[in-house]
Amino acid sequence: MSELDPKARINLSKAIVLIVETTSHAAEMLGQILKGFGVAETHRCVSATEAEKLLRTRTFDLILVDPDVKEGDGYALLRNLRSSMVEPNCFAPIILMSGHARVSKVKLARDTGANFFVSKPIAPNILLERILWVARDKRPYVEAGKYIGPDRRFKFEGPPPDSDGRRSSDLKDPLGEASDPNMSQNEIDGLMKPQRVMI
Amino acid sequence: MSVVRRFRPENRLAKLMAAPGGVSIADALQQASVELESVRESCMSALDEKLNALTTLNATTVTRERDEQMYLLSNEIFGESGAFGLEELSAVAHSLCTMLDANADCLPTRPAIIRVHIEAMRALRHPDMAGDKAARAAVLAGLRGLTARHAQPIDDLDDEPST
Repeated sequence: MSELDPKARINLSKAIVLIVETTSHAAEMLGQILKGFGVAETHRCVSATEAEKLLRTRTFDLILVDPDVKEGDGYALLRNLRSSMVEPNCFAPIILMSGHARVSKVKLARDTGANFFVSKPIAPNILLERILWVARDKRPYVEAGKYIGPDRRFKFEGPPPDSDGRRSSDLKDPLGEASDPNMSQNEIDGLMKPQRVMI
Repeated sequence: MSVVRRFRPENRLAKLMAAPGGVSIADALQQASVELESVRESCMSALDEKLNALTTLNATTVTRERDEQMYLLSNEIFGESGAFGLEELSAVAHSLCTMLDANADCLPTRPAIIRVHIEAMRALRHPDMAGDKAARAAVLAGLRGLTARHAQPIDDLDDEPST
């Protein structure tokens, strides 16, 4: 995770964010942090039932969920949202904000379809880093069996040993030794084409 | 073998954030801290109420439901105190969560350890502790040693997903 560039700009003035928290105070704290970031509109709920109603009627650009939300289960809320295929909310970036990690819930959390996990306590710089991360996330979404959400594999380390892999981009043959001379630095620089990016 | 479908839905958040205008990240972070500070007092009152509720619950008969309620309260204290920089209190609350999440049958000393955690949190909220970092650190170090003897490590993720 890269550090934040203090001079970079963000524009959340038109973003609508749903906060699903365990208590009104926790929701208020998050709401205040988002207000500081310039978020135009936040909707705060402290129950899964309330969140489900809002998700049916409003469109959100970002969803922040604590899985221990009352009157339901935050994990189920997220899984149901992803599998509902009701656009655009079903594809909205979701950040799961977990407090203490229950031993029994670690795998469950991984399979909800959230884009990112943040460990509490929430600090403004950490939350902003994660928001920027989900905005820049280039992973494709995947529908496989009961799972719908971003590809859970962050790193591609090649196909499993003794297999040809399943991706069309998996190399079938070993690469072997290089046959041509190495490229010069100028040739490499020319391939990169650095561009200025506004965030 | 299940069918795998890959697709790239529109990321509206990315488009909004890249729009001209907005604020610098430095200003956003500074303003967020100011806004968070504005709710400190009400959050601290709520935190003390949760501590009282924990004490009351701990005096009742041990049941799975009671432990679940205590776990949730402790988890809330962990998150909310930590966000306001009460690091030791947050750490003790986290330690209590670990204790409450552990298998109760294997820990004969569990009730006593839970009681010590709650008393430690109450002590850390005492006004005299606010300016005594060494005393707060001592409380935390003692509890860490105690919990390390009982808490179970989180299992490794042995079955990595293929997608």
